[in-house]
Amino acid sequence: MKKVFAFLRSMRFGILLLALIAACSVAGTVIPQGREIAWYARSYPSFHGAILLLRLHRVFESWYFIALLVLLCLNLSLCSLLRIRTVVRASGGEAERAASLPDTVLLTPEGVEKLRARLTDLRCSRETAGGVEVYRRHGFGRYGTFITHLSILLTVVFGALALYTPTVTDRDCMPGESIFMEDGTEIHVHDFHIADETGRLDYRSRVQVTLPDGRRSGIAELKVNHPFSFGAYKLFQQTFGTAGSVTVTNEETGGSDDFLLTEQTYLSADGVNGIFYDTLYPDYLRGPGGDVTLITVTEGSYPNPIYQVQVISDGVFTPTLAVPGDELTVMGLRFRFNAPVEYPGIRVKHVSPLCNALLVAAFTLMIAGLFITFFCEPVVVKLDAEGYAVAGPKPEHMRVELGEELREYEVSREE
Amino acid sequence: MKALFFAAFAVYAVAVILQFSGTAFKRDKLLGAAWYVFLGAFALHTLFLIVRGVAAKRLPLSNQFEFANAFAWGVALMLVVMRARLRTDWLTVAAMPAVLLVMVYAALQPMEIHDLMPALRSAWFGVHIGSAVLSYSAFVIAGSISLRYLIAVRKGSADERALGQMDYLSYRMVAFGFLFLTVVLLSGAIWAEQAWSAFWTWDPKEVWALITWLIYAVYLHLRLRMKKRGTAMAWFLVIAVPVVFFTFAGVNTLMHGLHTYG
Repeated sequence: MKKVFAFLRSMRFGILLLALIAACSVAGTVIPQGREIAWYARSYPSFHGAILLLRLHRVFESWYFIALLVLLCLNLSLCSLLRIRTVVRASGGEAERAASLPDTVLLTPEGVEKLRARLTDLRCSRETAGGVEVYRRHGFGRYGTFITHLSILLTVVFGALALYTPTVTDRDCMPGESIFMEDGTEIHVHDFHIADETGRLDYRSRVQVTLPDGRRSGIAELKVNHPFSFGAYKLFQQTFGTAGSVTVTNEETGGSDDFLLTEQTYLSADGVNGIFYDTLYPDYLRGPGGDVTLITVTEGSYPNPIYQVQVISDGVFTPTLAVPGDELTVMGLRFRFNAPVEYPGIRVKHVSPLCNALLVAAFTLMIAGLFITFFCEPVVVKLDAEGYAVAGPKPEHMRVELGEELREYEVSREE
Repeated sequence: MKALFFAAFAVYAVAVILQFSGTAFKRDKLLGAAWYVFLGAFALHTLFLIVRGVAAKRLPLSNQFEFANAFAWGVALMLVVMRARLRTDWLTVAAMPAVLLVMVYAALQPMEIHDLMPALRSAWFGVHIGSAVLSYSAFVIAGSISLRYLIAVRKGSADERALGQMDYLSYRMVAFGFLFLTVVLLSGAIWAEQAWSAFWTWDPKEVWALITWLIYAVYLHLRLRMKKRGTAMAWFLVIAVPVVFFTFAGVNTLMHGLHTYG
C-alpha cells in the first residue's frame, strides 16, 4: 500500500500523466471529433473499428481521458500537500544551516566587498549566524511551486464545474419578441442589427431580462465579446439571421396580418390559392435585358434583398421574384413584401457566477504562482571574509548570477 | 508597405548568409558584419510593424501574416536584448535562421489588411496574442541556445562553465515562455467564455497550445525536480521547437477550428 501511495504522489507518475494527456490530446486533434459513426467508417475504412473501440472519435469525453484528469488531480493533491509540509519545515533554521556551509567560491577581499554591496543592492535582509553573515531575500519564493500546483488543481476542478454544470440553450428571437425559459424567465429582444451605421459588422441587440421573481434588468446591449449577465443567466450574441417580412391583407374584409418568414412557408386563406415563400436572397444583379442574377452570399446586412416565391392560383405555380415594396394579389389576398428583419441567435447560459469567479481566481493564482516560482526565487547567501556559499531551496539562479558577476574576483583553493 | 516587409526580409536573409559564411570560413569580420546587418533588418522590421499598426489602426496581430511577423520580430528582439546583456555572440548561430524561417512563412501568407472581425474586438486581443508572441519567441530562443549547446559539446569548443551558462539560460527562457504560454491559455479561456460562452472548447489550437504547455511542463519538472541537465535536456528543447511551430502554423494550415482567422 505504501508503494502504491508513493507511486501516486511521485514526480514520475505526474510526468507520465502529463505525457499521456498530451498523447490523447494529439489523437483528439488528428482525428476529427464528434462526427457521426458512418463518417468514420467512410473516412477510415481500414481502422474505424479501432477508432470506435478506443473512443478516439470522442477522446475528450472518454472514460480514460477523464480518468487521467482525475489521477492528475490526485497526484497534484498528494504532492502539493506533502510539498507544503516539507517546505514549511525547511524554512525554519535556514540561516543557521546556511552559516554552517563551507564556502563554495573563494573571493579576494575586494570580491567580498563587491558581493556585500551587490547583496545590499538586491535589498537582502542581513543577519549574523555562527559568526558569519547570511543574506536572505524572497523567502516567500519557496511557496511558488506549491501555489502553482494548488492553482492547477483548482483550475481542473473549477474548470470541470464550469464546463459541465451550466445549461446552455441557443434561441432565435425576432426583435420586439421574447424568449421564455423553463423557469419563467423572460428575455425580451428590443432590437437587433448586423452592421452599425458605418456598415461595420457589430451584431448588436438590446435586451431586457425579467426573472420569475419579478426582478427586471435594465435594457442592456448585447454583442460579440460583451455578454450580459443577470441573475444566474448569462446571454451571448451567438448567431444571426435575416427573415423575410410579408404583410397579407384580405381585400374583402380589410383585415391584415404580418408574417416573419425564416423557412419555406405557404401563405393562403383557402389552402388552395396563395403564395409559397421559397427564400430570400441578399442581393441581385439586373442585366440590360431585365434578366436577374441572384447572389446567394453577402457579408453583413442584405444590400438588395429579393424574395423568391411561387404564386399559386387555381393549381398553377408561377415562380416570381419580388423586392421590398412590391405587392402581389392572389384571389382576394394582397401580399406586400416588406424590408427583411434582422434577428439575433442568442445563447442563454444558466450558470453559477460563483463557479466562474472561482475559476478566474484559480487562473490568477496560477499566474502568481508561476511568477513567484520563476522570478522570485528565494535568495540565501552565506558570506564570510574568504568567500561565499549559496543555499536555500533554489540556489541555481544566484549561483549562476554571482558566478558571472564575481568571476574576476575568484581565487582558486590552491592560492 | 509590402516593400518595407520585403526589405526587412531581404536584409535578414543577407545577415543569415553572412553569419553562415563567417561561421563556415571562421571569419570574425563576416560575423561582425552579419550582426550589424541583422540590426538593420530588425530596425526595418520594427518600422514595418509600426507602419502596419498605424495603417490598420490596431495591433498588427490579427491573422497569420501579422502574427508570423510579430513572432519573428519577438525572436529578433530577444536575440538583440540577450546579446547586449550577455555580451556574447554564440546565441546568433541558431537564432538568426529561426527569424528568417518565420519570415519565410510570413511571406507566404496573404498580406492584406482587414478590419478586425467582431470576435477579435476585445480587450483580451493584445494580452492573449501578445503573450503568445513572447512565449513562442522565448521557446525558439531556448531551442537555439540548446542547439548551440549541442554543437559546442560535439565540437568540444566550450568549457564546463560556458556549457552550464547555456543550460541555465535555456531554462530561464523556457521559464519565461512557460509563464507567458500560461497567460495565453488562461486569457484565451476567459476570452472564449466571453465570446463563445465556454472557457474551453477542445478547439485544435487550444489543444495544441495545451500540448505545448504540457511538453514544457515536463521539461521544467525534469530540470527543477529531477535535476536533469546537459545534453538530454538540450535535445528536449531542440525537439520541442517543431511542436511550437506546429502550434503556431501547422494547426492553422492543417486543421480547421475556431482559431482559423486567416
